[in-house]
Order: sequence, then C-alpha cells, then structure tokens
Amino acid sequence: MDPVYIDIIGIPANAILWGITIISLIFFFRRSFKIVGILQKARQESRFDNIPHRIKNFVKYVLLQQKLFNEKSIGLPHFLFFWGFVFYAITFWWNLFRGLYPFTKIPFADEVPIVGFVLEVSGVLVLVSIIIAVARRLFFRPEHLQKSRDAGIILSLITILMLTLILGQGFKSTQEVSAWSPVGAQVAMIFGSMEFSQASSLYILMWWIHIVAVLFFLAYIPYSKHLHLLTSPVNAFLLNDEVPQSLDIKNATEEIKQGSSNWNEFTWKQIFQTLTCAECGRCDRVCPSLNSGLKLSPRSILHEMKFNLYDTAFKKVDAATYEKKLIGDYISEEELWQCTTCMACMERCAVLNEHLTSIVQMRRYLVGQGNIESSLQDMLQKLTRYGNSFGQSDRNRAKWITGLDFKLKDARKEDVEYLWVTGDYAAFDVRVTGLTRATAQIFNKAGLDFGILYEAEKNSGNDVRRIGEEGLFEFLKDKNKQAFDKAKFRSIVTTDPHTYNTIKNEYHLNGVNGSNCNSIKVFHYTEVIDELIKTKKLNIKKKLNLTATYHDPCYLGRYNGIYEQPRSIIKALGVKLIEMPRNRNTSYCCGAGGGRIWMEDKTQIKERPSENRIKEAVALKGVNTFVVACPKDIAMFSDAIKTTGQEERLITKDIAELVLEAVS
Amino acid sequence: MNILVLLKMVPDVVEELKIGDDFKSLDRDWLRFILSESDEHALEQAIILKEKYGGTVTAVAPDAPELDDALYSALAKGADRAFKIIGEWDIYRSPGLAKVFSRFIEINNIMGEQTLILSGSQAIDDLEGEIVYYLAEFLGLPGCCVVTSVQYNPDSNCITLLKEFSGGLRGEFELSLPAVIGIQAAENPPRYIPIAKIRNIMKTQKIEEIEIPVEGIPNGLTIEKLFEPEVTDRAEILEGTPEEVARKLVEIFSDKGII
Repeated sequence: MDPVYIDIIGIPANAILWGITIISLIFFFRRSFKIVGILQKARQESRFDNIPHRIKNFVKYVLLQQKLFNEKSIGLPHFLFFWGFVFYAITFWWNLFRGLYPFTKIPFADEVPIVGFVLEVSGVLVLVSIIIAVARRLFFRPEHLQKSRDAGIILSLITILMLTLILGQGFKSTQEVSAWSPVGAQVAMIFGSMEFSQASSLYILMWWIHIVAVLFFLAYIPYSKHLHLLTSPVNAFLLNDEVPQSLDIKNATEEIKQGSSNWNEFTWKQIFQTLTCAECGRCDRVCPSLNSGLKLSPRSILHEMKFNLYDTAFKKVDAATYEKKLIGDYISEEELWQCTTCMACMERCAVLNEHLTSIVQMRRYLVGQGNIESSLQDMLQKLTRYGNSFGQSDRNRAKWITGLDFKLKDARKEDVEYLWVTGDYAAFDVRVTGLTRATAQIFNKAGLDFGILYEAEKNSGNDVRRIGEEGLFEFLKDKNKQAFDKAKFRSIVTTDPHTYNTIKNEYHLNGVNGSNCNSIKVFHYTEVIDELIKTKKLNIKKKLNLTATYHDPCYLGRYNGIYEQPRSIIKALGVKLIEMPRNRNTSYCCGAGGGRIWMEDKTQIKERPSENRIKEAVALKGVNTFVVACPKDIAMFSDAIKTTGQEERLITKDIAELVLEAVS
Repeated sequence: MNILVLLKMVPDVVEELKIGDDFKSLDRDWLRFILSESDEHALEQAIILKEKYGGTVTAVAPDAPELDDALYSALAKGADRAFKIIGEWDIYRSPGLAKVFSRFIEINNIMGEQTLILSGSQAIDDLEGEIVYYLAEFLGLPGCCVVTSVQYNPDSNCITLLKEFSGGLRGEFELSLPAVIGIQAAENPPRYIPIAKIRNIMKTQKIEEIEIPVEGIPNGLTIEKLFEPEVTDRAEILEGTPEEVARKLVEIFSDKGII
C-alpha cells in the first residue's frame, strides 16, 4: 500500500508529488519573502530584547493558548485545532519527506502504531471542534464576527484533512485490525469486508487527497487571514508587556513621533501585526466606542491598514501618491478620535495585537497636520499655556486645600516621604475637590508624611500623549520632572489613575531600567490607603452598612493590574461588595480616556459607555452605591446616573469618601 | 501679496489682575502676557491669504514678556519673518503704538503696491480698535475694521472685505492696496501648531530684533487712576418660596413708594 510507488495517468506518482510540492513551496516562499521585504522597509523598533521573557509569553499565549479561553465556546475547540495542527504539521513533513524520498524506506507516520493512534484520536477531536466552530458561525454567531469566505475555505480544508485521514485509517483497517487504530476499526466496520486491491486504492486516494490538500493549504495560508497560523506565534513572541502602559517605542528613530499616514511610516511590528489578525471580532465585542454606536472598530483599524498594505506595498505602488489615502479613505479621522484608549481590545486580543499604538501613531499624524477639532485644540492650548486642562491660572492649583484644618506641606520646601500628585481633575473640578480634601484628611489621620507641589505641578500628559501630541507630552513631562528634581521625597502617590500610569510607566524617574539609581516608587492612593489600613495606621471606627459595586478604572486595572487593593479597602469598611459581570480586566470604560473627555460627539451616540455601565450596576440586586477610584469617573458617572434617571437608585462615591466616613 | 501682521501682547485675564502701587498700572508680578485674541485671528487670516494668493507674511510686535513664544508660534504657523521692536512699550496706548508701527514700516521700507497690513480689530486695552485707523492715517492709506472676510483680486489689486455692524448687519467693501485692515475673526479659527514644530522652529529660525527712534511718539491717553469697580451694598437677595419672595418684593416696592 505505498502511495508513491504507483503511476498516475502514466506518470510516476513520486514525480507528481515533487511537482506539486515545488509549486506549493514557490507560492509559499514568494509571498513570505515579499512580506519580509515589506517589513524591512518599515520603521525600526526593537522587539528582541529580554528573550527569556519572550519565551515565557510564547508558552503562555501560544502553547497554552491562554487568551483564546476568554471566550468559552471557542476556547477549547481552538486549543484542539492548535495542537492538532502542530501534530499534523509534524506528521505531514514526515510523510512528505517519505513520499519524496521513498527509497529511505522509513515508515509513513500513520504506520507507526502510536503515532497513528494519536492521529486518529486528535482527528476525531478536531472534527468535533469543527462542528462546534461551524455551529458557532452559523447558529450562534457572536456579534462582530464577520462572515468570511476565508473561514469557510479553511474549515472545509481542515474537514477534508481529518476525514481523509480517518477514512484512510478505516480502509487500512478493513484488511488488518490493530489495537492502535480504534477509530479506523470503527470506520472499517461501516465498510464491512473489502477486497485488498479496492481498500488499497481507496487508502492511496485518501493519502493523495490529504497531501494535496495540505500542500494547497501551505500555498494558500500566506494569502489569507490564516496567515495568523504562522504570524501570531511570532507576534506573541514579539509582545512588549509594557505596551500600551508606555507608548515609548524602543530604539525607534525620532521621526516616529511625527506620526504615520503611510504604511512605511509605521514600525515593522505595527505592520506585521496587521497580518496576524484572525478576524475573530473579540476586540470589537468589547470596544466601548463601537458598542456605543460609534464608528470605531479596532478590528477594522488593523484590517484597513492591511488592505492599504495590499493595495500599495504588495503591488509596489507608492503609498504617498496612491489615489486612496490610509487616513481618509481606508480609515476615517472620526474613527481614530473615537478611541478611549481603554485597552479592552488589546486585553482581549487572542493574537496579542497592539491596536492602540497604531491608533496613536495616526493621531500623531493628524495633530502634526493641525487637524484636530476645536474643543481639543482649545484644550491643548490651555495645557500648553497653563499646564492644566481647566485653563486656570497655575496659582489656583492648590486652591482646593482651602478648608483643611491642617497645613499641607509644600514638597518644594520641605522633605516628605510621599509626594502627592493630584492631577487636574482632583485639583480643579468642583465636583471632585471635596474628595481630594477627603483623601488629604485620610492621609493626615494616618500620620502619613506627605506634601504637594502647589503650582509647580502640571498636567502629567498621559492623555495628551494618547491624543497624539507627543511634543506637548514631553514638554509637560519635562516640567514635572524639573519640579520633582527640586523636591525631596521617596515615593509618589497619585489620585488620578491616568496620572499614575504615565508617571509610573513613562516618566522613567529611576532612569530606563533603573539606570540613574533612584528608587522612587509610584503608588495610586488606593494602594497607599490599603496599606495604611492593613498596617493599622488607619483605624476603621465605623462599619458602613452599604451594598456597593466597584468600577475598575481602565488605567488602574487593565493598564496596571491594581484590582485587589481597592476591593480590599471596600471590604475592610464593612461594605457588601457585589461585582458587576464585567469586572477587573473586563471592566467597561467610562468613555473619558484618551482625550475623549475633551471631545465633542459629532456622531449620534446610541448609548454612552458610562450609561451602559450604570445600567449594568443597577441590574445588581440591592446595590445602591457605585464606587470608583478615579476623579474622571466621578464626573462621568454622576452625569450618567442623571441621564439614565437612576438618581433615586444609585449614587457614585469615591473610595476616599467612604474611607473618610468610616475612620471619622 | 506682501502681508504685514501687527501683533500685540496683552495681560492674560486668566491670571488674577492686581493694581500696582502707583494705582495707574497693573502689578507686573502678577501679570502674564498673551497674544491679543483678535491679533491671533489677524495672523490666521494673513496665513490663509498667503496660502490662497501666495506672497509673504511678516509678523511684527513691540517687545513684551512672553512675546518670543508668540512670534515663534507665528513662524511655525507660516509667517516668513518675525520682528521684535525693542523697547519699553507699556506706557504707549494705541495712537502711540500706531506711530511705532508706522515708523517700523517706513524704516524698513516695507510699503509696496501689493502691501496689506493686518491687525486685530480690537484688544482688551483698545476696545475701540483705534490702532487700525491711526495707522491708516499716519500712512495715508485706506483703513477698515471689524473685518470677518478678505478676498483678493490680483487683476485689480483690490481686496473685498466683509465688515460686521451691530444688529447683525454686514457691509461689503472694496479697497485698493495698499491698505490697513482690522480683523475681527479669521475665516477659520486659528490653527493648532504642535509643540514639536514650534520647538523645531526655535532651533532653525530667528526672531529679528529692531530698534526705532522713540522721540515724537505720543503715548496717547494717560491713565490717571486705575481702580476696581466699587462695591456697593445696594443689592439684596430675596430668599424663600416664590410666594414669600413675591410678598417681600411687594413690601419693598410699597416702602419705596413705587406702588
């Protein structure tokens, strides 16, 4: 039963196999080299440092398929596809080698009993997985999972591969039953008794269909969305864990700061990742902007970048002079501005794509062109001139301290242990300054040695950077760092998670990788209060009789992994905490981030993210308090409670407010 | 077209304004200066005209704190040259500044057949917008203020202006160049220039400093006394339900003999 020792229409089968293998490989490598050539023309970025960590990520996200399991229905089936694929890929090369060099006389993979057994079992598992995958696409289609011809082709191909294997094993088993071939034996029972020559030719037919299908698959992959089979494992290896907490691009040239409007102005990683998207729609399903009825879809951002690449780079057309522009014809400016930078898409992405860096790259380009809406322009001008987004005089920054019954240290003049950077909202917004005073009182009660910078503090620039105004971000960062340099402190505590993020991850107060020997730690106030409670420096005098839910701010939770400290405080206060269905890393953005809080909605919005979130909270039985840990959340959710008419039912409270009540 | 934009720094009212010890000027310790808002529009209109019809834009301003930032920003927006007129100019009001500008123009021999001089139509310390008319008079040119649109016709070397009047009326004017006009609002809001671009301009371009003789320049009106609005105690806020407030109101009116 040797499938290559025959003649097919008078030609030796071995020669035919050589022919189609070469054709397949030509297709495969032609495309692959083209892709590599394109990547080499893009801007540089270093993604090969810290190899052990990258290997760890590879194990976690590729071998263990961790992210796939964030959608239960397809997690296990995909896990089986993956491992089935790996196994089949190995045996394919083995069989191909044997087919091409029949004189080596090594057995075919399925002729080795144990290998045959694993092939059969995994074949059945993969077939079951295919049924689930097809059923999901046809009958239980999740929102934003696009209908795709590619998906149909690939699922059919996998089905063909599995069926040919199992049938082949069946035909073989009609002649000789083996304990290592249980599936084959079952299939053989269906066929009943069969002549050797008939069984043999059917087996050979299956072998050929199988191998031709795989060779077709191989040639087809680099031209389809299933390129992700090859690219996504690499993408997982290329992952930088500090993105998007930090938007620094390692070893990039200065011009990257000017933004990107053509494919060759992105880094090679940003181009590469467009080829890894498997179009699963996970990002779209969690995007607060898309789900509010806005146009932005993180999937289509990467997708359109890819189409632009196909239309220009792949055809050797100059993108700069091509009639269709990446920004304008493929991706609208409107979409780019609709991103709240909440990171939900990235957290969810099964192939570890970094949508945000590409969006910010394109925003940088728009800012460079002066192409920004007037309310945002106004805000950037205020930030440039006054160092705060409220357009108020520097001198008013510490006005909120009026009414405190103790003196707040001026960290510019006195040494403090904690330098408190409040951020703009906590200092200027009248809805929030009361909470800032509450935090001050808590720190004071706990005997914390802390101070502020008074008018020397400027907006930290977190959102400015995400708007794409890199120059202004650097300007604000430099001003703050100069002020930090003049003050003496050991740690920084922040009120605003946005401030927290950028100071912690983008200011490099201790140098890059600790190079300037500082050991400044950056905390969010919930971390500090949690510690004060745990070390009994802050005594809870009164248990609060509340039932509450807690909203994880994006920049605290997803960005920086601070999930437990706020919860630990809430529980310590005696509050009954009920979680919303979307909590911790699946928390739903309030809609304020990435500069959105300063933009006007031009598109008719279906439902604001904050309103959607309030409805989620209201659906929880008995919950009457919506606890937040971000000054912007206070502003966003107190509005949303009003617009959804839930004033009677729900109240927004900052953790600091609750703590102060419990310790007074 | 040869476009000249006259700029002026004014006190930034976002900062608290305090009256100085002399009761004639603002306390400079508390002051920050910002480019006058309608000058910002004049600059924008100048750049728009340059983009539409070609030519050069020259920005000129009397020295003041924070002026350099404003001039670099003008260069970044597209001005070709930026001049700073060295000197102490706080005591000069619009008639004096108009003289300063006219001397600047004469000394530098800027006037040509296609020269258009733009300025803001008013400033917080020149609500009447005198500067445009004084300058037009000194230079012997036609002048027009509160302009919101400028079109240029190269064939006739004329500009067509839209001027706003009170009551929502607008007038269309045609002036031949050279001329002086005061811009109320540019066709588009002043553009945003990314900080990186301004920083780059600071490295690559220079602000040209120039001195002009000051003798014979009138300082215009002299301030005798600067004071905050006097607080009176005549206002009384009536509180309570609408009925109570109405009753109190009636009582007050009858006490005063109004009803």
